[in-house]
This record gives sequence, C-alpha cells and structure tokens, in this order.
Amino acid sequence: MSTSARLATLVIFVFAVFVAVPVLIGLTHRTDFYYTLSSVALLAIASGGVWLTFYIGRINIGQGAYALMGGYVSAILVVRYGVSFWITLPLAGAFCAAASVLIGLPILRLRGVYFAMVTLVLTEVVRLLALALPITNGAKGMVSLPPPGPISLFGLTLVPSFDTFAERNEAFYYLSVAVMCVCFAALYRLVHSRVGRLFVALQQNEELASSMGLNVPALRVLAYSISSFFGGIGGAIFAAIAQSVYPSSFTVADSVNFMLNCFLGGLGFVFGPMLGTLVLYFGWDLLFQAGQYQLLIYSGVMIALMLVLPNGLLSIRPLNFRKRVRPLIWRRS
Amino acid sequence: MAPILTVSGITKQYGGLVAVNDVSFDVAEGEILSVIGPNGAGKSTLFKLIASFVRPTRGEVRFKGERISGLAPHIVARKGVVRTFQETTIFKGLTVRDSVIVAHHLRSHAGLLGFYLGTKAAREDEAEFGRSADEILEFLGLRAVADEIASNLPQGSLRALGVAIGLAANPKILLLDEPFAGMNHDETRRAVEMTRAVRDRGVTLLLVEHDMAAVMRISDRIVVLNFGAKIAEGTATEIQSNERVIEAYLGVEDETIGV
Amino acid sequence: MEQVVANGLYLGAQYALIALGLTLIFALMNVLNFAHGQMYVLGGFVTYELYGQMHLPFVVALAASAVTLAVLGGLIERFLFRTVIRRSKREESTMLLAAGVAYFLDALILLLFGEKQRGVPKIVSGVWVSDNLIMPYDRILVGFLAVLFIAAFILMMRYTKPGRAMRALAQDRVAAQLMGVPVEFYSLVGFALGALLAGLVGGLLVAITGVNAGIGGPISIKAFMMVMIGGAGVISGAIAGGFILGMLESVGLSVLHSYGDVTYLVIFAALMAFLSVRPNGLMGKPWG
Repeated sequence: MSTSARLATLVIFVFAVFVAVPVLIGLTHRTDFYYTLSSVALLAIASGGVWLTFYIGRINIGQGAYALMGGYVSAILVVRYGVSFWITLPLAGAFCAAASVLIGLPILRLRGVYFAMVTLVLTEVVRLLALALPITNGAKGMVSLPPPGPISLFGLTLVPSFDTFAERNEAFYYLSVAVMCVCFAALYRLVHSRVGRLFVALQQNEELASSMGLNVPALRVLAYSISSFFGGIGGAIFAAIAQSVYPSSFTVADSVNFMLNCFLGGLGFVFGPMLGTLVLYFGWDLLFQAGQYQLLIYSGVMIALMLVLPNGLLSIRPLNFRKRVRPLIWRRS
Repeated sequence: MAPILTVSGITKQYGGLVAVNDVSFDVAEGEILSVIGPNGAGKSTLFKLIASFVRPTRGEVRFKGERISGLAPHIVARKGVVRTFQETTIFKGLTVRDSVIVAHHLRSHAGLLGFYLGTKAAREDEAEFGRSADEILEFLGLRAVADEIASNLPQGSLRALGVAIGLAANPKILLLDEPFAGMNHDETRRAVEMTRAVRDRGVTLLLVEHDMAAVMRISDRIVVLNFGAKIAEGTATEIQSNERVIEAYLGVEDETIGV
Repeated sequence: MEQVVANGLYLGAQYALIALGLTLIFALMNVLNFAHGQMYVLGGFVTYELYGQMHLPFVVALAASAVTLAVLGGLIERFLFRTVIRRSKREESTMLLAAGVAYFLDALILLLFGEKQRGVPKIVSGVWVSDNLIMPYDRILVGFLAVLFIAAFILMMRYTKPGRAMRALAQDRVAAQLMGVPVEFYSLVGFALGALLAGLVGGLLVAITGVNAGIGGPISIKAFMMVMIGGAGVISGAIAGGFILGMLESVGLSVLHSYGDVTYLVIFAALMAFLSVRPNGLMGKPWG
C-alpha cells in the first residue's frame, strides 16, 4: 500500500470507530454493543501484546497473567488507596512491565514449546497468587470499583466523569477504542522501525543476532515487557468496566484465546490481532444461541478451521498483499 | 607485531569428555591464521570458545590484551571479535540487503528510542547503513541478489552472505567457520580470493577449516589440532612436513595433505 | 515424615504416568498435547460409568478406559494432527489444534457427564496403620498399579519392536524413515499410547479422588510442569518430573499448609529458578 492509501485506511478506520459505530448504536438502540465492542478493543490490546512476543519468535500463552495483574493493580490502588483510575492505568501497565522483566529474564531463555508451557503455567500461578494474597481479597475479588472520575488540567475538564454519561459504557467504549488505537499505532511504528527489524532478527536466529552484537537477552525482555504492558493496560480497563476483578477474571482459557486471536488474524500483520479478536469474540457471542452446545460448536469450528486453513485466516488474503507482508514473520527452522 | 588475539591454555570439558585440551596460540594483527584438524579434533568447540559462545573450563582468550572469555557473545562482538556461521545459519525470511543492514547495528549512533522515534541521528544511521550495505554487497559480489530472500540463495552466495553479515559488524578480527566446506574447485578458488580481499580491508582472519588444500594456499600460519590438543603450529610448508600432522591425518582418514 | 514421603511416592507414581503420555506424544510428533488433561478426565468417566454405575469389575472398567482413550487418540492423530502437520508451515498450528481438541473434549465431557463431582465405591477397603504411617489399602493398590504400568511401559519401549521403532522416531524422524520405520504408523501408535496412559491414570484415580469435568485443564498444567522439570521428550525425565512434583506437592501441603494455598506458588518459583539454570530440564536435550 502506498502512503496515501494507508492514510485513507486510517481515516476510514478512525471515522468508523469514533463516529459510525456510535451513530449506528444510537439509531438501533443496541447500547449493549458498547460493552461488547469495548471488550473486543481491550482483548485486542492484550492480543496485540501476545502478537509482539510471537514477533520475536516466542509462543506466549501467559498474557492472561498480566491482564489479571493489571486489573488487580488498578483495582487495589483505586479501592484501597483512593488513587484516581487515570493514574492507576499507566501504573498497572508499568507494574506488569516490571514484573515481566523479572519473570522474562529467566524464562525468555527458553524456546518453542518450553516457553509456551512456562507461560501457560504462569497464568495459573497468578490466579493462585490472587487467591492467596491478603491484599487481593481472595476468591471474593475486588468489587464495586467506582467509575473513573474527570480529568482536569488547570481547571479545564478534559474528560468528564464517567458518571455524567447517561450510558456509562458509551464512555468506556470511547476510552477502550482510543487506547486500542494508540496501542496499535505504537505497535505499528515499532514493527516498522529499526527496532522491529532487530526483533525479526531475533525471531529468525538468536545466535546469529548475538554474533553481530545485538544484546539478545535485553531485546527479548524489551519486547516481552511491552507485550505485558499491553496486557496490564487491557486488564485494568476491563476491571473498570466490569467494576470488579476476580481471580477467575482472566484464566488459562483467556491466555489461550489471546494466542488464538493472534493466530486467527495472522501473525505477519500488525492489525491481525484486532481482526482475530473481533471474529472470535463475535463468533463466540453468536453461538450463544446454541446454549449448551456453544463450546462444542465453537471448538468444532476451530478444529475444522485448523484443518482447512492451518496457516491462519490471513493466509487466504490476496496474493499481492501477502507479498508485502511476507518478510515480517517466518517459520524458524 | 603484537598479537591481536591470544589464546592461552584453553580447555573445555563436557562431562568426562575433553573437547579442547590446553590449547595456546597467538594471532598477529593482519594475518590469516587457520585452525585445522581431523573430524572431531575439537575445531568447532575451539571456535565457539574464541567467539565466547561457550565458556571455557580453564584458560582464557584475550583480545588486545583484554580477557574476553566469559563475556556475552554480543559484547565480544562489540569489541571487534565477530564470528560467522556455516551457511544454514542465516535470517531465512529477510532479503540479503536487509540482513546486512540489520547487521550494521553496532555502528549505530542513535539508541533504540531514537530509532523508534525516527530522530535525525537515526535517519542518518539508516542512510549510512544502506550505503555501507550496498558497498559490502558489491565487494562480495552479492549486488545482483540483494533483493532475494536469503533462504532462496545458492550455497556459494550464502557463504558470502555470512561474511557480509560479519563485515557489517565492523570486526577487527573475523572468525570464519569452515568457509570452504562442501565447495567444488572453482567455488573454493573464488572463496579464497574473497577471503584474501577481506584481509586486505584490514581485517584479521581466523579460519577453522577442514579443506587442507585451500588452507595451505591461503594461510600465513596454521595451527593443527588432534584429539582436542594442539600438535603443531607454523607456516604451510612447516606443517606439510610435520611428522605428527601427517600421522594424525593418515591415522584418521586417507586424506592427502597440501597441494 | 514417613507419611509425607509415602504420599509423595503415591502421587508421584500417578503423575509420572500422566507425564509419560504427554512426553511420548511430544517426543514423537513435536506436539504439545493440550488435551492431555481432558483425556485423563474422559478415562475417569469411563471407569466411573462402568465400575461405579454398571458395577462391572474395576479391572474391566480400567481396561475399557485404556482402550477407549487409545482408540480416541488414534483417531485424533489420524484425522486431525496428521493432516494439520502435513499442511501447516508453523509449529504453533499443532498447538492450536491441540487447544481446539482440548476445548472440544471439555464440551463433550460436560454434555455427556455433567459438571458434578463423581466418585465410585472403594475398590478395596481398610487402612494400613503402622507407628507413623497411615495409608488406605486402595491408595497402596493404585500406587502399586501405577508403578507396574510405568515398568511395563519402560520394558515395552526398550525391548519390543514398536518400542524400539518409537524411540528411533523420537531420536530422528528423518533417519528413522530412511531406516525403513513406518513413521506414520508409529506416530499413530505413539499418540494412541500416550492417550491410553492418560485414560489409564484417569481410571485409576477416579477410584481415589473421583472425577469432575473441570479438572482437565489443571491436570494438563501439572503435566506440563512435570515435563519441564524432567526435560521434554525424555522418558526418564517424565518419570523423574512426575515423582519430583508429587513429592514437592506432598511436602508443600504438609509444610506450607498453615500459609494457605501457596504450595504451587512456591513450586513455580522454584521451577523458574531451576529453568534459568537448566533450560532443558533435568534430562532434556537442547532444542528449540
């Protein structure tokens, strides 16, 4: 795509998300979509983080751990210490990033299935931690989180208190989608800068990368901490929307789903996780009609998809498009 | 001339197996030194020890008088000791030019954040890397395949790509891992020329190689390993007439020595 | 102290058997079988139906668990994994397929057996009591059977033709093919055998702890931990990992009991520290 085509896509996307969707929801009175789409946006942010770990050649099934961590950090600061939600949001991300540096240093030495297994276990461990720690309130979770207050600067109200919205979820929708746009813009810039090239070098061959002087462990941790930052941010806003966070808010199944979102959307494409999350979330919602057969049909379709399209949804994209995307990610030998 | 690299008493044990046993030698600045030996003599372990991809059990490697054993490989590379890999180790999905550009990382003035934000320094770096990559590709005869995906290259070009990636890191001493293995006569001749040309750019070369004929032709000095220990050191002529070397080679396989 | 060790050994034997199945499938096909825990649960429910509900002898029920899972495993390999492995370009694909299968089995189990915790009558009653050790007879029997199965598995891998073929396959798939080992056939056999082991433990443990539809995932996670401790794809590693985890759990439950549910936290922290020193586990070969 040329620069102008990319710019046009961006404008259309922003217009659709910030204008068209709210107008449509207003016309159809389906205000429940505010919640649904906020969820999609937040899960997409977390999935975007997972995508970045894929990008350095690691299969990450541990994003649920950081989403949960982020949710708890924000909730605890808001409820126990009365900190404003707006301040807890970056703090939640930063806390997760810091934790991921400590966790990542040892486990990022692992590769392939080994790394995948450890991250999976990590999700379970954070859940157990949330159950065991006194500060997280155990299985009862953190509940009754107040809605975000206003942001004021020099007496000027930049963001009104969420209480003033007739439909509080509408406010959350704008917040979630705005954060999603910022996160993916940052991710896009990252991947298309030299840093992204270095990440590809890691993905393709870590030994060779270190022989040319790349500080491989540091770069791996950098990517992983950005990934976890995304997870923490997503989790924190999620807790705010749900007004609660429980040990079971993000579980192993969520971690697996984040990975699925990335894979379904396509690993060679920055916006793949967004697409994948949208498709999977709505697919799952549509199947709600199927009642007790929901999971059976969902997993059945998933298996069928793997059989028919083992290389992801975007592997059916048009040829010229595939060529552009091709160098971004490659199978390691 | 003062040695640029000193290997002293280096030893590597894997469990009970001694892969490299008390090996010492010097590499002088600007020379081409080859390490040869029959299969299983410990050549590739020695190679990894020098590039600091493996920690020695005993002994040390010094570069310009500074101990580099035990340092992380990327730090050793920063100091100017850069290794190449055999042709299977490349960035498979990147183009030839992109691989070489990425390999310029050590020359960058801008930090990661600078590159992320696209500062002036970063843009200048990028431009400089592009120019330098083109120059290296030209020098190694890879200009024509610059935009090929690396995994599509023929074997000979892959070797050259390995050297190109190594050169991009601006080495003082470049370690070449079996640069002539599996090549026919013609390919070897060209690779030998290329290796000399690299030396003429002012890069000291240390080769680990199995192909005796090529080694004899190119090396200023040769170190011979057998069963992990150094059994001889000297010029090609000295090595060719060395009893122990002949014995070691004849004992293991029928391979003729020299040209 | 003796009590803790005995409990650890008993747990370890079960765990080792679970880890063996997982590691076998991994070694042969480079597939991380997410559905391993679900296979275990399914085995438990088969024994529950036959022994608990239909009152057939326990041995028959156990055999039925094993056979059911072997057949299921064979079918899953033949029609799902084989196809995806052939068509896919990335190793993540099989992982996703395995996740799909895990979800599918979860849904199936829930539909067929409901979400209630199910138990069966004791297979043998009575308790063995000595000075400082109390052990119910059924636990002793189940532990003994598990050790027996482990021994049988090892002997099979070492001395029978399929066992040798599978070991060759695990060593080097291409070389095995060149040597004339029917690779596809033995992949199927290996997968079926791995599933069989999962079903067998499920059938064994239903007699002690009962079974419910929700424990598949947690069991898989435990199995992953064992395999990581011992080293992926190595038989001795799986056994060692199983016993180590069983022992840690047993010790943890007795020592850390007063601090609440922190045993697994401690085990995980220890595992991370351990893996940073030995990324390939106790006996694993370097790979990845």
